[in-house]
Amino acid sequence: MLYLTKRHLLTAATAYGIAPAAAQDLPANEQALYEAARKEGELTWYSGQVQAETGEAAGKAFTQRYPGIKVNVVRSTSQVAYQRLSQDMQAGVAQCDIFSSTDYGHYNALKREKALLPFRPKAADGLIGPAKDPDPDNMFQILYIGLYLIAYNNKKVAEADAPKSWKDLLHPKWKGQLAVGHPGYSGAIGIMGVTLSRMYGWDFFKSLEKNKPQIGRSADDPVTLMNAGERTVGLGVSLSAPLLSQSRGNPISIVYPSDGTLAVYSPTGIPRNAPHPNAAKLFMEFACGPAYAEIMRQFFIMPVRPEIAPPTGALPFEKVKLIGSTPAQIEDGVPEIKESWRDTFGV
Amino acid sequence: MRRRLPEPAVLVWIALAATLLVLVAWPLFQLLLVSLRTRSGDFTFANYLAAYGRARYIDSLTTSLLLAAETSLLSAIFATPMAWAISRTNMPGKGLVWAMVFGAFILPPYLGAIGWILLAGPNAGFLNQLWRWATGAGDPLVNVYSFHGLAFVMAFQSFPLIFIFVKAALDLVSSEMEDAANILGAGTWRTMWKVTLPLAWPSILGGTIVVFLETVALFGTPALIGIPARINTATTQLWQFFESPVRVEVAAAYAIPLLLIALVLVGAQKALLARKGYVSQTGKGGERRPIAFGWGRFVLLAWCIGVGLLSVVLPGLVLLEASFARAWGRGLSADNFTLANYRFLIFEHETALATIWHTIWYSAAAASLAVLLAMLVSYIVSRKLVRFAGALGFLAMAPFVIPGIVMAIGFYAAFARPPFALYGTAAIIILAFTARFLPIAYASSSAAMGTLHPEMEEAARILGLGRLGTIARITAPLLKKSLLGAWLIVFIVATRELSAAIFLVGPNTRTMAVLLYDLSEAGNFEVVAALGFILLAIALGLAGLGMKAIGRDFMLRR
Repeated sequence: MLYLTKRHLLTAATAYGIAPAAAQDLPANEQALYEAARKEGELTWYSGQVQAETGEAAGKAFTQRYPGIKVNVVRSTSQVAYQRLSQDMQAGVAQCDIFSSTDYGHYNALKREKALLPFRPKAADGLIGPAKDPDPDNMFQILYIGLYLIAYNNKKVAEADAPKSWKDLLHPKWKGQLAVGHPGYSGAIGIMGVTLSRMYGWDFFKSLEKNKPQIGRSADDPVTLMNAGERTVGLGVSLSAPLLSQSRGNPISIVYPSDGTLAVYSPTGIPRNAPHPNAAKLFMEFACGPAYAEIMRQFFIMPVRPEIAPPTGALPFEKVKLIGSTPAQIEDGVPEIKESWRDTFGV
Repeated sequence: MRRRLPEPAVLVWIALAATLLVLVAWPLFQLLLVSLRTRSGDFTFANYLAAYGRARYIDSLTTSLLLAAETSLLSAIFATPMAWAISRTNMPGKGLVWAMVFGAFILPPYLGAIGWILLAGPNAGFLNQLWRWATGAGDPLVNVYSFHGLAFVMAFQSFPLIFIFVKAALDLVSSEMEDAANILGAGTWRTMWKVTLPLAWPSILGGTIVVFLETVALFGTPALIGIPARINTATTQLWQFFESPVRVEVAAAYAIPLLLIALVLVGAQKALLARKGYVSQTGKGGERRPIAFGWGRFVLLAWCIGVGLLSVVLPGLVLLEASFARAWGRGLSADNFTLANYRFLIFEHETALATIWHTIWYSAAAASLAVLLAMLVSYIVSRKLVRFAGALGFLAMAPFVIPGIVMAIGFYAAFARPPFALYGTAAIIILAFTARFLPIAYASSSAAMGTLHPEMEEAARILGLGRLGTIARITAPLLKKSLLGAWLIVFIVATRELSAAIFLVGPNTRTMAVLLYDLSEAGNFEVVAALGFILLAIALGLAGLGMKAIGRDFMLRR
């Protein structure tokens, strides 16, 4: 699919029950929430997880299913979203009803400050295993699992020659060919640093530097460089960006590394002082359900519901070897990784 | 005896000072508070130690200053001959040159930088491919990923600022002064060096300082080109304080001392301009004629076109191709051509058109406010109407050097919550843009004010016009061109402002730069390029309308 239009989403949406709620029987729990939420009329979603277009599409679908409740999507990077939220809280102003970040640490911090509202959506029963019940106190849910892997320009590199694993990237034949993001700007690259150095030691990155990778900022910067032909192989690239590029006909292919694809689990929760708590709870129900997962799929994000197929060009979770680090390992490890990165790569 | 009422002008000054305090000093003060507190709100200096306690943080600041010096110098070298050629000579093709300068200014820096990466990337850059093909050499001809590469690309994006400044000043110089030099035996070049350019010196200096400050605070281009070149600048360092764990208080502490740079530069400007007269407009009428040039005008034209090619035409062509491509990674071919990127943005995208509209009106409102404020402040400062006028001038100049993302923190703290409660409104963005770009308007209008002899105002006052009437009927019309120039600069710089906007936009107040950033983050480069060209087309169209409405004076020499 080249472009996502309202029409596409509607067709997709009707298949998963995004008809106005009045026309169908809502489950009792949703019915009660909906009635309370209708009085609130809107909700504000601070999101650092998905792009603005994706967020808007999800918001539209929600409003369609629950008429009369508008979703205000405030899209930014996760860190800016968190900064806004903390500034709101310090100032005693409640703005945010749903907070989605790619940084697990934010939720640990918010939980410590007792700033989250406990809520267990019923629809969360149907989430896939790795996303189910991440928090014993039900302060947040996992609605987004980012996969980070290797991608290459298939016009310049034949499939047979392409790297098969992270380790393959250390081969001298990739000298001057690699591109990667930066842990100082991309949380995912920081987690990649923590995970790969737990597997192979920091020496992995020292050897990587011998191949003189081009350092960018975001995890997806290498995609631009690969399309331009400036570099041929990108590492730590998110699944979505190369798949979108590929769907347009760009010469990009992805590789699920044989030594593991990096999975980053990203929570979504309700701040305790949410000004529209019922609308927020209803949104959590919606976001744990299949309609939301289907919209994610359309934007090349892995759905966290088993009944929704993976996006075009991606493998289902069962077929992928996943690697990752625990929230505690990430929180402790990333600052150190950033320092070592600076020492090894000079930037 | 009748009690003497205070002159209405005095009230205006008070209102003005209050406005500046609210608009500039209040957010800066909030920022200072942030920098002096721990997360839990206790007073501390630790943030300053964290920000400046490490050699690498100080190194990046030094790099930034060097980079800003090279960039502003290059910009002045690009811009000054162009401004002189357009304003004073009979060079042909002025409309074309103007369009190129304007295009270079409007082109979003993010796209310009990508354009240059595609042109001068060491492996696949088009210029380097051409070079290798022509010479058989193995090494690239140019490498954009280098300190000088970065400085050049930034200068290509910033020189129009100086151009507009200098041209506005040159437009005010009457030919009589040049005639006097000619009569005394000076040739055209000597007259230019000894008479014309020196009269424009405050503007050249003002423009260069603005570019210097802008470069120190710029994030986009240094991030795109500097990081791969393994160059750390103050802003790329600063953004890392916004990554996990977020340390806004350290970012604020890192940014506050940058105010000193603004202070030093403004002081240097004063010292350099002291005790010399730059008055070129007096009560006696003047006349302006283009200087007739023989072959020299073609040399000038070649220079202008050369700068235009490098700054906008070449990167623009690369982007134009991408905007019409299905998949730009596949290169130029008939089956790769599509209009779908444009159709998507104009007809199918949920918010693209609303976003363009937001951008235009926020920027226009901010530009109008900033120019109004700047003119009044520079009037007070240059005519020394009140004590401590210099402090007002500094306040008007200060916000620029604080990087947008940090300034936005101050703005959010100052205006998002009650009593202002401007969260998510257009007003907070307009105010932030006004404050942030006030320095540009101020530098421009104070340079222009310096060329104006007070005798014309005095004449009006003797004839019974009040202070404000004098400004409205004498000063403002005389400065029309400079003020329009300032308006235009603020407008354009505001349309491309990203770092402050990204923090302040609400769900219904997204701007173009933020949309570009979102799309580029998604890796949707073809659509990003198309959006850039829609912006370019709209801006050129508006400029055309402006020219019609205000007469050719808006941009072209009369």
